[in-house]
Amino acid sequence: MSLALIAALPFLGALLPGLLIRSGRNACALATGTVTALALLMLGLHAPAVLSGEVIHTRIEWMPALGLNANFFLDGLGLLFAGLILGIGLLIILYARFYLSSRDPMGQFYTYLLLFQGAMVGIVLSDNILLLLVFWELTSLSSFLLIGYWKHLPEGRQGARMALAVTGTGGLAMIAGMLILGQIAGSYDLSVILQSREAIQASDWYLPALVLILLGCFTKSAQFPFHFWLPHAMAAPTPVSAYLHSATMVKAGLFLMARMWPVLAGTPEWFYLVATTGLVTMVVAAKIALFKDDLKALLAFSTVSHLGLVTMLLGFGTKAAAIAAIFHIINHATFKAALFMCAGIVDHETHTRDLKRLGGLRRLMPVTFALSTIAALSMAGVPPLNGFLSKEMMLEEVAHTAWAGQVWLMPAFATLGALFSVAYSLRFIAHGFLGPVRKDYPSKPHDPPFGMWAAPAVLVLLLVAIGLAPMPVAGWLVDAAAGATTGGLVHAHISHWHGLTPALWMSVAAIGGGLILLSAHRPLMRAWLATPRPEAKRLFDGVLEPLATAARGVTQGLHDGALSRYFAIATVAVVTAGAAAFLTGSHQGGTRAPTPVDLVPVVGWFLLIAATVALVLRHHDRFLSLVFVGVVGLIVSMGFAYLSAPDLALTQILVEVATVILLLLALNFLPKRTPAETGLARRLRDGAIACAAGLGSGGLIYLLMTRNAAFPSIADYHLANAKTGGGGTNVVNVILVDFRGFDTFGEITVLGIAALVIFALTETVLRAGPANDRLLGWSQRHRQAGDRHPLMFVVATRMVLPIALMVGIYIFLRGHNLPGGGFIAGLVVAVAALMQYMASGFGWTSARKRVEYHALIAVGVLIAAAAGVGSWFAGRPFLTSAYGYVTLPPLEKFELATAMVFDIGVFLTVLGAVMLALASISRIAVRAGERVSATPYDVDLPGDGYGDR
Amino acid sequence: MEPAFEIVVTALLVIAGTFGLIGSFGLLRLTDAMQRLHAPTKATTVGVGAALIASVIDLYLYRSELTWQELLVAVFLFITAPITALFLAKIHLHQTVPRDLLPPTGTGRDWATFDQTANGPTPELPKD
Repeated sequence: MSLALIAALPFLGALLPGLLIRSGRNACALATGTVTALALLMLGLHAPAVLSGEVIHTRIEWMPALGLNANFFLDGLGLLFAGLILGIGLLIILYARFYLSSRDPMGQFYTYLLLFQGAMVGIVLSDNILLLLVFWELTSLSSFLLIGYWKHLPEGRQGARMALAVTGTGGLAMIAGMLILGQIAGSYDLSVILQSREAIQASDWYLPALVLILLGCFTKSAQFPFHFWLPHAMAAPTPVSAYLHSATMVKAGLFLMARMWPVLAGTPEWFYLVATTGLVTMVVAAKIALFKDDLKALLAFSTVSHLGLVTMLLGFGTKAAAIAAIFHIINHATFKAALFMCAGIVDHETHTRDLKRLGGLRRLMPVTFALSTIAALSMAGVPPLNGFLSKEMMLEEVAHTAWAGQVWLMPAFATLGALFSVAYSLRFIAHGFLGPVRKDYPSKPHDPPFGMWAAPAVLVLLLVAIGLAPMPVAGWLVDAAAGATTGGLVHAHISHWHGLTPALWMSVAAIGGGLILLSAHRPLMRAWLATPRPEAKRLFDGVLEPLATAARGVTQGLHDGALSRYFAIATVAVVTAGAAAFLTGSHQGGTRAPTPVDLVPVVGWFLLIAATVALVLRHHDRFLSLVFVGVVGLIVSMGFAYLSAPDLALTQILVEVATVILLLLALNFLPKRTPAETGLARRLRDGAIACAAGLGSGGLIYLLMTRNAAFPSIADYHLANAKTGGGGTNVVNVILVDFRGFDTFGEITVLGIAALVIFALTETVLRAGPANDRLLGWSQRHRQAGDRHPLMFVVATRMVLPIALMVGIYIFLRGHNLPGGGFIAGLVVAVAALMQYMASGFGWTSARKRVEYHALIAVGVLIAAAAGVGSWFAGRPFLTSAYGYVTLPPLEKFELATAMVFDIGVFLTVLGAVMLALASISRIAVRAGERVSATPYDVDLPGDGYGDR
Repeated sequence: MEPAFEIVVTALLVIAGTFGLIGSFGLLRLTDAMQRLHAPTKATTVGVGAALIASVIDLYLYRSELTWQELLVAVFLFITAPITALFLAKIHLHQTVPRDLLPPTGTGRDWATFDQTANGPTPELPKD
């Protein structure tokens, strides 16, 4: 089974929760869990091979020219992380099912969770650093959605934004670092880069690359001084915190450091940057954690501290330290996820996470108490639990490491960090669960249902098992992952008793000191509160606020919502660029002789100019402007016809007709005159811009037409291949449905979307609001005709309908060889239908239609897509067309091309789009008081009793 | 080709041109909007009609092609021209003619374009 599929599965599965939430919360959670379980199963099937030392590859070429390939590989490290992500993910899905309240949109939650999960799995399985970067950014984006899941809470939104800003900035730095790395190694494939240790470490660019990549890792893993975002991300629902901050998001930075360990580690730069940062983070965060009253804030800072610990170990650059780091990653994931979930349970049951308001929960919530205690003791590093084992290994490594020649420095600080860690872990238990039962909990606490504590229980069982029998339970995984990290065979020796080593004494000192610290917590807390501390949020806002203000200033200066301003900016920019190019380059007069001037074009030209000038002069009168616009459109169509472009002429004239009709309908609800809104100076300025743009484009066209093109035109290719390749003699149509079929496919999709947008805009107008009020109070300025739907008009349109339909079909069928095609036919039929609506009114007519316009658009796009996909089955690329000739008596031999199916799609989409626009305007009319006619025409019929009255 | 047919085609073209000219001239010359409405209808009916017949005969005799397009164009014009005239007249009645100058219709109801009486039963959409 392909590795790509494992990474893709959560993304595909992300479609499910949104749909299945309609079947209930259990179905939704079950579907999400099934997706994750399936991915986990697929991973598990690869596990035996990976554990025996094999590396599994899946290669998919994506953009090989850029070095960007969807290459995946799975080794021990990837297996460990993917297992953690999917395994803990599964527990989180279970936990979240019970944690989220009925008011929370659960489908959304699971969708975000799966997106995030997919991005994380993608990171750990990527064999291409560019692909890895894509997934890396995806985790930043999806974690933003998860952290800000409670959109109604300002803390949630701000926390999400801060996390995105910090990790996103780090991600940008990392992109640069990765590109440098790829340049040095000559490949963006990780498996190649991992082999190029000497080249990379010898390069002058090693340090910049290292710093940039570490920036990415440190921001993601919340290392000092970027640690401040993580506590603010605690505004997220607890399942999110438990997932992001135990096993996944923040571990991504650690993962990358471990992944890059073989090429980047082992140098003094690496040691001083990574180990120092890790050590500082570990001590500082542990100290802050001790003074946090919020359960989740305590856990957040403890997470930062433990991440620092792992970072420090990775920074040592020795094999033994890497083993300890990997082992601690596993242990941290188990106890921290369990602790977060327990904190969530406490919050869920007592409605508070404040340690000052808690205490005495031991008797009220015995199960939660047991789980929390075991997990917290593991976090404190109390034997025989797994936290003790990895902490011992850490202290052992620290004891042998000198920092700048000082042998005492690292051990001293590491012991201090461990001491704080013991203190806050024990505080979690002592202040949360021990002590007398209180009377003033915000809500009466009791143990949650089994479903909610099942997930932490599994983790606690696991951590106890690892603690009691580390080698059989976790040794093999540590070996595989550490082996992959260090690039060699590894045999870890994890045991409880190493003899009376310095590490043991440091451990004893930490536990003893931690107990003392806890007993003196009250006075210490007072001292802590009394000392001034830098407030991270304020500093962050202080940096970001001016940036945001500046950005807002630029954006609102350019995009103030006035269409005329966008046009002005775009026009001035283009004209300036064109003028600059023209003035700085050299140019000569044209080489082509001008064609002689005939009378017909002159007349057309004169009409065009006259209509344009009249339009400018009389634009305040909107109906008159529409007439002038119509004249311009007709002259342009005639110009196309005159210049032998019948397809264009047909399209143009039909578009003109449809546009004028729709505009007339819309103008009915607008003021009949445009008031003068701008002063003379502004009008002169805009006029000057317009004139410059007009002269510029006129000059450009003149220059183009008086010389031969610099490049040979592709027209010859199309002319030569239209019949042989596409089977049609109408080159324009063959280009539309065959050569450039993909463009057309995109265009009809856009057309369909545009029609849907018109519909949606109308929907918004018709909601309660000022626009709706204006429509409800609408009164016609002009007297309305008595016969809204005159008999003569109705009869004429009914007569024209079959003729128009016939013309439409005729134009459609001949389109491949003669002027015509689906687009034009769609417009013809749309205009014919428009006439019916005009004649008998929208209500009467649409009551007689059988097909929804939305469906028409959708079917059109789908048919076009099916025509394209069909060529896959013939083993050809998307939208390859085939054609053949058929004889069907009594008709003449005629051609059938698959492009025709595509053209049907075009036809339906065009028809649907025009009609949906009409329908939208009609809805406005009905809201404005237009009556729906009961009869096709509003006249007296002989004998109906009304004519004689 | 028979000279007689040539004469017919030529005559038809001359008729078409003449009526087109008369129509255009009338549009300029006639004073009242209602009168002016008549002028372009001459051009569209007889004028264009004669040109189309000339085209059909010419194509049939010269190139032995029997075409239906001209017929369709003619049908289309004959259907649409009255509608255009009707709407122009309606607008004219609405916007320029004082109501009291209009002659009585001779029935119980007003001119169709002004009639505001209810039309049949309460409007409702058909069920199907």
